[in-house]
Amino acid sequence: MNNSTFIQLEHVTKLYHRGPETVHALEDITLTIGAGEYVAVVGHSGSGKTTLMNILGCLDHPTRGRIVINGHELQHAAEKELNRFRRQTIGFIFQQFFLIPTLNVIENVELPSLFTGINKKDRARQLVEMVGLGKRMRHLPGQLSGGEMQRAAIARSLINSPSILLADEPTGNLDSRNAEAIMGVFEKLNGEGMTIIVVTHNPDLVKRCSRTVHIDDGRIRT
Amino acid sequence: MTFTRVAFSNLRRNPVRSVLTGLSLAVSAATLSVVLSLDKGYSSAVTNELVNKTGVHLYVTKEGCPIEAASVIAQGGLSPLYVEESIVERLKELPEIEAILPFKLFSITTDDGSRTDIFMGVTEAIRTVKPDWQFQQGGWFEHDSSVILGAEMARIENLGVGDRMYSEHFRREFVVSGILKRNYSQDDGTFFLPLATAQRLVGREGKLSAIALKLKDISPLDASRNHLRSIVPADYFVIGSRELSEGILRFFGSTRVIMMVMVVIAFIISVFGIINTMLMAVLERRKEIAYLKCVGAGRRDLLMLILLETMAIAVMGSALGTAAGIALSPAFGGLMRKFLIAFVPSGAIARPDAGIAIIAFLGCAAIGIACALYPALRAARIVPMEVLRNE
Repeated sequence: MNNSTFIQLEHVTKLYHRGPETVHALEDITLTIGAGEYVAVVGHSGSGKTTLMNILGCLDHPTRGRIVINGHELQHAAEKELNRFRRQTIGFIFQQFFLIPTLNVIENVELPSLFTGINKKDRARQLVEMVGLGKRMRHLPGQLSGGEMQRAAIARSLINSPSILLADEPTGNLDSRNAEAIMGVFEKLNGEGMTIIVVTHNPDLVKRCSRTVHIDDGRIRT
Repeated sequence: MTFTRVAFSNLRRNPVRSVLTGLSLAVSAATLSVVLSLDKGYSSAVTNELVNKTGVHLYVTKEGCPIEAASVIAQGGLSPLYVEESIVERLKELPEIEAILPFKLFSITTDDGSRTDIFMGVTEAIRTVKPDWQFQQGGWFEHDSSVILGAEMARIENLGVGDRMYSEHFRREFVVSGILKRNYSQDDGTFFLPLATAQRLVGREGKLSAIALKLKDISPLDASRNHLRSIVPADYFVIGSRELSEGILRFFGSTRVIMMVMVVIAFIISVFGIINTMLMAVLERRKEIAYLKCVGAGRRDLLMLILLETMAIAVMGSALGTAAGIALSPAFGGLMRKFLIAFVPSGAIARPDAGIAIIAFLGCAAIGIACALYPALRAARIVPMEVLRNE
């Protein structure tokens, strides 16, 4: 792994068993992503994009292969270790925002810091301001538009100052104006040096990424 | 941001469900508080009345059902069993006996059943046997038609010393010779008559309900009882006042079992209610829980969140139920007094106290929290990638 390599997947295979059937979700994937890259992962539905995101996000172990992120070899790491690693290193954004409906915006943003044991109220306030929700801090998710909810979700994903942002269809539920706003936030974060990996079908988002990885039938197409 | 804040905020998602779950536990806590108050109250009231306040160490009564004997001694009944008064003379020869109180006890209920008066024919030995039996006004019987009133009877009848009292049932007039100090026992509601008068009124001359004995020294109680048994005829009982109260409490045992069954049923309903509620809460939030795992929530964190959420419901429900149970106990004591078949002591039957409140509150809260363990484990075992991929 050279100095600029931040994420390295070597011959990663992921098999699922569905009854008697074995599903090859990922097949011998080798992928290197440098620090500060802005990568789009594209492919048909069922091509293995989400499985790749789960592996990159340390939410799942590969059946075979090696994963190294920021110098940590993780393919055999225990659940506790992966939890700690995710907490410190990775931010997640999903198409569905998964905001807690009974917590207001600032509380939702602060939520992941709960598991670190460190009070990050001030940082949460800064992040909410950064994503343009300064005037809606005390609003509940139900009082926000889809775009605002996604911006709150982005702020939340950044609360623990992760090095990597993994986004699964972040603009999938948004209209074009809100999608544009979200893409702007991503570009800003990437400009500040954050590594961003986005699974998307949105061609506008793909265009803005510095690199595109095509997945088809669990393999990377070059 | 704290675990408590997140857990408590989750209760607002479905407030009706949270309140109903808390109320189901409140019913259990209230039931437990009431039952414990009644159980403790009844036991201590019976013991207090029959052991602590009487000053009687042993009773001589006729052989038969011990519960019936207990009932006759305690409350007066229309039992065909009686003790021959001649036995008293034999007992007087025993050196270990300090005082002998032969008595005739009977109760008269009005035709409409609305009132039952208890009459007790006594000798002056009652003043030695019962230290609490003291005059507020007046004194001992002056003639055959004298009556001494318990404090409560004097209040109800609005009678004073020297007043005349006519009994419809006996078609006879009595003159009040004394009024007793209130001693918070059955004595407060009793009409005391000269023994011979009482016997004549019910046509049982020379016959007694029982004989109460006060011993000079109670340490050799068993030896004294055995000695007495050898003196009295074989078909007579010699029983201690504690045995008497225990006999009544054994009879009360069946009522106690029914009450405990009610508590268990209330708990079973609560337990299933809480497990169901928390399981639903976890299943409805699978994606959120999966997200929390994504951002680094460990199993312990999720266990903590679910347990805290349940704890809030359990603590509020248990506190509310315990407070309601303690407050309502006297009312249930009144109901029990009306319907209890066994001996009903004077004074409060339900005696709630801090100890009962603590047991009911902690017991219910602990059971409530324990109910969250399974749903909490289900939450902790959620595999985020499975939930996020499949749902």
